[in-house]
Amino acid sequence: MKKKILKRGLIVLISGLVIVGGIIFYMFNQPHRDVQATKADYKMEAVQLVNEYLKNAEASNEKYLDEEGESKIIIVTGTISEMSKDMNSQDVILLKNEGDKAGVSCTLIKNENISNLKTGDIITIKGVIRAGAGYDEDLELYEDVIMEKCKIIKTINN
Amino acid sequence: MKKTILSIAIAGILVLSSAFSLVGNKLVSKSGHVNFFSHTAVEDISADNYKLVSTIETDTGKMVFSVPMQGFEFEKSLMQKHFNSSKFLNTKKFPKSKFVGNITNLSDIDFEKDGTYTANVSGELTIHGVTKAITEDASITVAGAKVTVDVEMSITLADYNIAFKKGKPSTNIAKTVVAKIKAEYN
Repeated sequence: MKKKILKRGLIVLISGLVIVGGIIFYMFNQPHRDVQATKADYKMEAVQLVNEYLKNAEASNEKYLDEEGESKIIIVTGTISEMSKDMNSQDVILLKNEGDKAGVSCTLIKNENISNLKTGDIITIKGVIRAGAGYDEDLELYEDVIMEKCKIIKTINN
Repeated sequence: MKKTILSIAIAGILVLSSAFSLVGNKLVSKSGHVNFFSHTAVEDISADNYKLVSTIETDTGKMVFSVPMQGFEFEKSLMQKHFNSSKFLNTKKFPKSKFVGNITNLSDIDFEKDGTYTANVSGELTIHGVTKAITEDASITVAGAKVTVDVEMSITLADYNIAFKKGKPSTNIAKTVVAKIKAEYN
């Protein structure tokens, strides 16, 4: 009788340890959030996002940035003003209207086909926001809104 | 009358040309890489950021780096969350880190002539809302119209009120980390 209780206790204890261990292991190795597989929080024009930041950066950071870096996922539409590659060979598209102070700089995920795109095209991009736009008095420049993990979801060639 | 018009025209040309030369003396980089590296006996931690913005004024030697902190990517998702959180870098409150400094040996560097120069850079680094004076050597490479800057900044986390008193981070994160910065200007 005593042996049986001991045996059951041991089984419960071991299975408990395995479950807790599994949870800890999962926590340490949990995958990064898949931005493209996650539902977008906002959908807007690139100009609108920039203007919100230029008007009130603090309130915009409160609205769009997340404390753990899992900031808002936004679908933005704008006009391509510049296309380049960064030091990680990722394509970067700047959405900005002519004459505007700042735009939205979108770093695309790998394997996005941009061969059919050119400046002046209007595109819609989904990605995660990393930082807002604003005038930096040391750079003496306007910095763009920064978005990463971006994927093009719609293109209107002009 | 003619003289006045002429002097106005000359003044106008002077103002315009000085405005142009001001623009011409500023190098802008929107293509850069910041690598953050921490080494302890327990583990090495590394994170990369490709969203650096930087400027150099070639006539005054002023050098600025601006880094959006949420752009750092870690191998492990949990590390990235910790890095951003209010306990560590609090990137929601302090989304950007910035270095503002000057090249103190500007006369040794010829931005018009191809070559690699060592620049002594001295200025203020602001991370996590805390500003500290730092001095580092930067390598400046001029190749035609392209200028590249490489600099390593050694950052003692406690100086910027980033403190890990207990638990895993206190043993797994180095007290002093290295930020390797590379920027391409044109």
